[in-house]
Amino acid sequence: MGVLRVLSRRGDDHITWDEQKLPMNDPETMAAVREAEKIFAATRAKGATAFRIDEGKPVQRIDQFDPTAQQILMVPRVVGG
Amino acid sequence: MLPLETLLSWGLVALFCTLLTWITARYIWNTSQAERRAIHLMKEILTPQELRQLFWRGYVDIPSTLAPQRVYRVPRSEGYVQVRENGHTIMGLCLQPIERLPRADIVILHKLMIEAQEEFYLQTANKFRYFDI
Repeated sequence: MGVLRVLSRRGDDHITWDEQKLPMNDPETMAAVREAEKIFAATRAKGATAFRIDEGKPVQRIDQFDPTAQQILMVPRVVGG
Repeated sequence: MLPLETLLSWGLVALFCTLLTWITARYIWNTSQAERRAIHLMKEILTPQELRQLFWRGYVDIPSTLAPQRVYRVPRSEGYVQVRENGHTIMGLCLQPIERLPRADIVILHKLMIEAQEEFYLQTANKFRYFDI
């Protein structure tokens, strides 16, 4: 399952999709991916940073939404304290 | 007339107290739910060794991707991040999200930023000298 998580004061908000069904253009999966893409863009516009987390691989900062990622985690903009 | 006014006043006080209790309880419930979710996520993101260190020592050491002798000591509770080289603290860093996050999420935020964009992390954080005693 692919998952997009957005860290917030509520803990985290997330949306999932089945990346196995992506090549089949499964309508439910495609709808979830479109929704995740919208959330990704909106959160990025607020200054958030996105990280791609795949098991056994180093964490990667990303600028484009990728539905093949196992997990995308978005953190709010940070400032020096 | 006076007893009625007194009764009304006490009624208002009782109403205010009930409202205050309800708001406080709701805040505590929401905060604890957010903390629980954040801890659950932290268990997914941190390695078992990092979790053990965080639990027993109250901090987690994140190795630098730029300098092999450097680690970033991220505290579980509020506080600054220590930059340690060869076992000594050389600098303190202060960096925070613009939005309030549960504490466990802040640990995740530091880990991800150090591992994926350490240079930006160092540029953004406020730095201060630290004397290791």
